[in-house]
Amino acid sequence: MKIQLTKDKAIDISIPGLGGGGKGKVSKADLVGVELFSDDEEGCPAVRLIRRKNAWHLAAFGYVKAPDGELPQRWEDTPKQPTWELPREFQSPVAAIAVNSDMGSFGQASADAIVQEMIHGTVHTDAPASSDSGKKRFGIKRAPGASAPKAADPQPQRTPGRVPEFPAAGVPVSENGRRFAVRPSAEEGFHFAVSLPEFQSLWLGRLLPEGRRPTAGSIQISNAALMASVLAQPEYIAAKGSVLAIFVRDSALFIAGYKDGMPVLWRRCPGDCGYNAMCTALKKTLGIERDLIESVLADSLIDPKPALEPFLHPIMEQLELARAYLASKHAMNIEKVLLMGLPAGAEHWQRCAEETLKLHIVAPAPFEGMTVDKGVEIKNPHRHLVALGAALAASEVES
Amino acid sequence: MNNASFHLNLLKQTEKLSSSPVRLRVILPLLAILACLGMAVWWGLIFTQSLVVRADISSTEEDVRAKSKEHAEIIGLMNDARELELQVEQLEYYRNGVRRSAEPLAQLAEVMPVRVQLTKLSMVAPVRQNLQPPGAKVPLFGPTENVETQKLVIAGKTTKETPVMAMMESLGMPEFEDLVTKEKNINSFKQDNAQERGGQRLLSFELEYTMPGRTFAK
Repeated sequence: MKIQLTKDKAIDISIPGLGGGGKGKVSKADLVGVELFSDDEEGCPAVRLIRRKNAWHLAAFGYVKAPDGELPQRWEDTPKQPTWELPREFQSPVAAIAVNSDMGSFGQASADAIVQEMIHGTVHTDAPASSDSGKKRFGIKRAPGASAPKAADPQPQRTPGRVPEFPAAGVPVSENGRRFAVRPSAEEGFHFAVSLPEFQSLWLGRLLPEGRRPTAGSIQISNAALMASVLAQPEYIAAKGSVLAIFVRDSALFIAGYKDGMPVLWRRCPGDCGYNAMCTALKKTLGIERDLIESVLADSLIDPKPALEPFLHPIMEQLELARAYLASKHAMNIEKVLLMGLPAGAEHWQRCAEETLKLHIVAPAPFEGMTVDKGVEIKNPHRHLVALGAALAASEVES
Repeated sequence: MNNASFHLNLLKQTEKLSSSPVRLRVILPLLAILACLGMAVWWGLIFTQSLVVRADISSTEEDVRAKSKEHAEIIGLMNDARELELQVEQLEYYRNGVRRSAEPLAQLAEVMPVRVQLTKLSMVAPVRQNLQPPGAKVPLFGPTENVETQKLVIAGKTTKETPVMAMMESLGMPEFEDLVTKEKNINSFKQDNAQERGGQRLLSFELEYTMPGRTFAK
């Protein structure tokens, strides 16, 4: 609650737990992460994490029924506000919601570029970039889309009038009908930024009603949450937060770099590189149905290498570019890469990386390093990476 | 490593709601109102109590004013009584200080030897004390010293020494304790120049006995 005393004097009264103006504190010990509007037919992937004795415990795992209605695509849809209730096992005090929205954005950019986006209300999305193709930077010829973090436009088209202030780290601001939040990158001058239309943010914020567990404590973009899903991995902790990771989703593939526990690189692989694309390549080459693909990848009798190599080759190129970028720009010697979110066929990726890049790929289980509580059954854990990442990021704990 | 570096939260602080079913935004104003009411009752009680105390004080003051004359009279009477008590006490001192010498003197005749003729039996008056010291408006009620000593002078004539010695021995008996003490002084014992009839020569003597002290006390 802000009270304006005089023209230039104001006092800010904060009462924890009060909706109006109070700085509600996110519980760091018990929270549920939910991925909204994923492609999963079973529902919304959800995980409940409880921190006990400096270690994460997986207290609940599964799918929850999606809220009634759809994510609004315009301001006029926002009055149709449903309320949402989670099953009892997921009723922690706080929920971290990761949303898949076509209108959301997550990426890495300079402060000027972010301010320009705030001025114009435009966003840069995770769509593969086609700019600066063929440019040679850091001694590497870059493939189309394999650019470094987005820098400011040298000739920005500024809208006359008020220039928005660059938001403080972790503090969401509304500008030109969008809501923005930034965090600094490990690379000086660059920041990770997310944005979502204001009406979608409001809709998501009101989804979980007050006075009932859980209430929303965090709204994140799914890709940002995905990036945080490695935070509890033993490999990540052993490397002191300096690793390179590949995230495989159904329709896209992302490469993420971490330096000293801070994000430094986030790139979407150009082209169609998701798990669906891999299945399509296998289907076309080997002539097998989708249902059999996972068993074929696990079965040693059928060698999927001829079908996988054309698919994996551009990914390996992107991986090499990312590795070279981290080596030249951040003096990071990457010898091990975490492969996350791949349901099957990790050993073929490992073999390919060893042969082409002399790089060791590790494919840990998503919940490795966590204690699974009694009675919790884990199925399709790779589909819960976003929910896991949302919960881990929202916990804001120091490990 | 801090997970907060990855937390790109689009939910504003003002939008965060409490998951507790006890809604503080409802409870807090109620508690505030109850606290205000409690304070009002508290101050009301204190105000009422102060009014009662003030009324008590004024009534007590009036009562004191009304009784002050009687009180002064009582104080005066008490002072008079005290003064009289002191006088009575002083008189008690005098009564206790009365020398009871009549009975011993009556017995003295019985123990007096035949050959002793007393010519003088006197109690020497003690040195008078100054009962009106300089500057005093009223004389003192009694002597400043509690003990007063007197001397008993016995003078007489005798034919020889023996009867005087017998008399002195008799005065040493317990019956004469109230009259004389053991302390005595023989002022003179000599040949009397005057001759008795028949030409017999007489001896004159004078004895000085210290009498028991008169004590002015209870």
